[in-house]
Amino acid sequence: MNRTFSHHGFYSKLKKHKINLACQGMVSQDLLNLIGLSLKRKAVDNEVIARRLFGIVVELAQNIYHYSAEKAYSEKDKCEVGVGIITVAEAVDNYTVSSGNMIENTKATRIRERIDYINTLDDEQLKQYYKEQRRLPKPEESKGANLGFIDLARRSNNSLKYSITQVNEKHSFFTLSIKIKKETT
Amino acid sequence: MENFYIKAANFIPEINFIAESGELSISGESYHEYTQEFYQPVFEWLRNYLATPGRTITFNFKMYYYNTSSSRRFLEIFDMLEDYQNNHDGTMIINWYYKENDLDMLESGEEYAEDTGLKFNLIPYS
Repeated sequence: MNRTFSHHGFYSKLKKHKINLACQGMVSQDLLNLIGLSLKRKAVDNEVIARRLFGIVVELAQNIYHYSAEKAYSEKDKCEVGVGIITVAEAVDNYTVSSGNMIENTKATRIRERIDYINTLDDEQLKQYYKEQRRLPKPEESKGANLGFIDLARRSNNSLKYSITQVNEKHSFFTLSIKIKKETT
Repeated sequence: MENFYIKAANFIPEINFIAESGELSISGESYHEYTQEFYQPVFEWLRNYLATPGRTITFNFKMYYYNTSSSRRFLEIFDMLEDYQNNHDGTMIINWYYKENDLDMLESGEEYAEDTGLKFNLIPYS
């Protein structure tokens, strides 16, 4: 089998799904800064939305950085960091930010339970849950704040959409999508 | 005591603590990948500074954006300030600045105020 990668096919596919930003690999804080600038330029008429979009991208990217089961060596960090993919799609009245990365199969149930639980909460309950979790010491194995999913749900005013697809006996691919309206309500 | 200063960069805030006047300010953006390590010297300076009772402190927070991991660090800072106010004869003025259309940032300030016993001055700017 000797098929070359079609950049045109890739480009067309992204375009068809209205994905106007896609990053694959190591999404570091330096790259996040550039993405932030580009989002500010894009949503120039609505700073609040640009900032929310940016917040969503940061949380998704840092989830990948700290938790992806697929790693690459970072010269800056002098250690292995997680890799994955981030996309931003734009429709007429909303944006969808998505992330995709490998997870260990053993983590799948915990992620499902956490997101499913968060999706049952209304705004006020989300706020209380966020505050309650921020007060708790973070779990030993957690490198982040353990607040990412709750923050994402609060920023989007929509439920978190996700899928977990088993790839082999060790790993699954985890996709998480957050939709936000272009107009602030 | 020496002042404490960190220059702002793309993903780290400016931190400017002036020992003599008690004016302590954090401003800008904070989404460092390793916030615990980044804020470590900040906590060390604060612990030393708060070891002397009876100070009057003005703490200015003027953040444009911070990630959830920084949000934990800020709560830890407010907890230290609250303890200082309640148990070490401290006088605390907390100024929480938010851009006038940024209700998310206003709400974040309100939540910290609810979570600690500190009084927050919520101050819009344009």
